[in-house]
Formats: sequence, C-alpha cells, structure tokens
Amino acid sequence: MPAPQTAQERELAQLIVSALNLEDVQPESIDPEAPLFGAGLGLDSIDALELALGISKQFGFQMRSDEESNKRVFGSLRSLSGYIQQNRKT
Amino acid sequence: MSVAEVMAEVTSVAAGLPAGQWMINLCEQRYAFLVGFCAALLRQQTTLLPLSRAEQVVSELGAAYPGSYSWDDGAGQDALRGELTGSRAGVVALPSLAADQCAFVGFTSGSTGPPTPHAKLWSSLSGSTARNASRILETIAPVPGGSRPWIVATVPPQHMYGMEMSVLLPLLGDMPVHCGRPLFPGDVAATLAEVPAPRVLVTTPVHLRALVESGLEFPDLALVISATAPLETSLAVRAERRLRARVLDVLGSTETCAIATREGARESAWRPHAGVVLTPGPAGTMVEAPWFDKPALLQDIVEFLPGGCFTLRGRNADIIEIAGKRASLAELTQRLLAVSGVSDAIVFQPEAADLGLAGRVSALAVAPGLTAASILERLRESVDPAFLPRPLVLVAALPRNALGKLPREQLLGALRAAAAGVPCDTLIASKESPNTKA
Repeated sequence: MPAPQTAQERELAQLIVSALNLEDVQPESIDPEAPLFGAGLGLDSIDALELALGISKQFGFQMRSDEESNKRVFGSLRSLSGYIQQNRKT
Repeated sequence: MSVAEVMAEVTSVAAGLPAGQWMINLCEQRYAFLVGFCAALLRQQTTLLPLSRAEQVVSELGAAYPGSYSWDDGAGQDALRGELTGSRAGVVALPSLAADQCAFVGFTSGSTGPPTPHAKLWSSLSGSTARNASRILETIAPVPGGSRPWIVATVPPQHMYGMEMSVLLPLLGDMPVHCGRPLFPGDVAATLAEVPAPRVLVTTPVHLRALVESGLEFPDLALVISATAPLETSLAVRAERRLRARVLDVLGSTETCAIATREGARESAWRPHAGVVLTPGPAGTMVEAPWFDKPALLQDIVEFLPGGCFTLRGRNADIIEIAGKRASLAELTQRLLAVSGVSDAIVFQPEAADLGLAGRVSALAVAPGLTAASILERLRESVDPAFLPRPLVLVAALPRNALGKLPREQLLGALRAAAAGVPCDTLIASKESPNTKA
C-alpha cells in the first residue's frame, strides 16, 4: 500500500500529470516514495525540462540539476516536493 | 585544462586499455567520453556507438563485435583517478592519424533485423568537421580578437550530432568544449557563464524551446546551433530575440554527418557545405562529397532551388525523431512483440514533432494477463526511454481492416477510447475484426 500523499505532494502530482500530459495517470495514484525517473513513473530528461517550466511558473524558481545535492531531488515525488517547498518563491 | 594535460591523461588511459579491437563507449560524462575516444584512437581501436544504452541493445552489440569491450563513466573515473564532473576540456592535439583509420561506427535503426553500421574514417570526419568549423566561424564573424569560440552542448556525445559538435570540433576544429551537459535553463545559463566569450551553444529544438520559455537571461552568445529535428521558424525567431544570437539549424544524419545549414529565423532553404552533391532516388537522396569514403543515403526527399540550395519534402514515414534520437517504428514494434506474453502489437506516432515539442510514440498491444506497466518494464531493457510508448494501451485485438492493415484513424480512435475510460476488453474498433463481440 503506497504511503499517502501530503497536500503539497498532491499539488505537485497534479502539476506533473498536467504539465506532461500523462492522460492515463491519476495524480493521487503516484506513490510519493516511488521513483519518478527511469523506473516507477518512467519519466525522462525531456519530461524533466517540461516539468521544470511548469515548476518555474507555479512556484517561481528555476530548477537546477548540476550540483550533487540537486540530483537526489528527482528520486521521488516526496523528495521533489521537499525541494520545491525549500525553494519556492510563490 | 591545457592541451598538454589532456594529452597526458589520454596517453595514460590508452596504455591501460584492454587489447580488444572495438571499444563500446557508453560514457555519459563528456570528458570521460572524449578521453576514452582519443585513447582508443591512439591504440588504433574503433569506437562503437550503440543506438541506445538499453542493456539488451548493448549486449547485442557486444555479441555482434567479438573482441569488443565497454568503456563507461566508471571505467573513466577509475582510469583518471579523479573528478569527472565539471572538467573544462580544452582542445586536444592528437598525433596525426592515418586517413583510413576507422575512428568509430555509428548505428541506425533498421526496419528489420539488427541496427545498420556506418563506419566513419578519420579522413571523412576531418573533412566534415573542417566544413562545420568554417560554417560556424563565418556565421559568427567577425570574431573579436580572433579568439576561439567555446562550445557548450546540451546533447550527449554518443549520437552523431554530439560527436561532431562536442567531440570532433575540439579535436579537429580548434574549438574548446565545456564538458558539462546542462539540463535545465538555469544550468545552461550557469555553464555558459563558466566559459569565456565568444560562446557557441549546441542544442536541439526541444531544449531551445525550454530555454526560450524560461524567461531567463543568458550570458552573451555568439551563436546557437540546433539540430536533430525540424526547427520551426517561429521558434528560431523567438530564440534569436531571447538569446540575442543567430540560430544556425544544421542538417545531418548518422549516415552523412552534417551536410547543410540554414539560419532558421530567416532562411527556409538549406545551404549545403561546399562540395556536397545530392542525387534524388526512390528511397531518399544519395549524398556524395569529396571527403566521404562512399556515398550515403539521406532519408529525406529533396527539392532543389536555384543557387544550389534545397528544401526537404518529407521523409520515410517509418523513421521518427524524438529530441535528438532516431528510431524506426517497425523496429519498436518488433521489440514490443518480443516481450513475452505480447501476441500482437503496433507502435505509432500520433502527432509529428513540431514547434520543439517531443512527439511521443503510442502503442496498442494484445497481451492477456499482463499489465501495461509490466510490459513497459520489460521493454525498457531494449528500447531507449525516449521511445517508450506513452501510453501503451492494452486491447483485445488490434483494429485491423479486411486487408490486415491498421488504418491510422482506427489507431487514433483506440487511443481516444482508452483516454475516455472505455474498458480495454471492449476496445475492438474495426467491424471487420474476426474477434468482434456483439
């Protein structure tokens, strides 16, 4: 049984589904601790670009991936949501 | 890093390479890739560039080339005993190589059977790189103080485009490259700021659109190069405005390397490199040039214009491109059919990529007892992630017509039905299907 999503994780899940046109995915069904990239939801770097645009529009900051510390944020919905909460301007 | 420093590392790595004739270079890190490639050249080994990093593709390649070995970021890190990330490589000066040395083999996806190899001799790479370099320099002229342009690339080194622009230009074209591979617009801006002007950004339409829409300010650029997919005029115009640099669209392929360019914001016709000769044929266009070791086939149909320029008029519908990578729909269908439990399947592309959007593939499959997720997990072993079907819809039978063909409208109809939540065991779109239920 996947861990329940927090409200912030649900908001991010909805953004992921709409920004990436994942028509067959229900936002609430995304396990917050499952991988987003590669396995799990199976997103790739093209999705990452599209998602970064959505994140900058909704949360007001630019995603970065070039620091070692940034790379872990994509591990799961939970870690990405935490990163967004730390960096959001809106 | 100085030329001498890089050469010292290349020489030391070369001494430690295994004795095989073929190196399968899987490095994602540009410096590790470049050092491995140069080391292989010094040892007169040929580099193989697999179609994708999917494990089955790599193991099939290894089986097809006995005596091959893999070189990846881990091997590079061990051999270099140091940090791979963030290295700024300068230019590399290799001792002169024989013109007929086979530097690498690129592969393209065939509709049937194994990938098609395309061997690249050092002489032909030298010829095409020289022309790429001079086209770049004449587009950014005048270069202040005659300084060499620095390259920042968002593309990986393994595909032809990344190989030409981010590996061969430093090796042969006297243009240093930053070894990073920035992803997000913020990363691209930061990486560009790490190199001196004049700066050349090597990227693709998908990435360019992200940069333009980010609203970020970027460091001064001398030139933006785009390739691997059609660059819409409107995107080129917006990009020139936002990035304050000309955008040079490049036409090339694994078979031909880069053969023509155009300024996407103001030219619709391609200007071939001097010496390129195009001859239309039934399967596409034959391309010849003095630096080619043999003619090559371009998959596109070409229409000539006065002055030697040309436009493209459609291509082989089986071949698709997503963000810089090329695949065959027929081959993807074969890979899906090869998944145990899948009895029938079709992979197709609902919307062609345009305006810098990645046009994903979709698929229908008949696989009683399997879930889409489990099939995709198996498929990931043999297909590049960019080409995994999205969505993969399970159906009771493919909507074949009386001739056994799969009309596009039926395929799209099945996708729409799935999106509308119609249960998959009633998804039989064609009345002529032998499995029609009442």
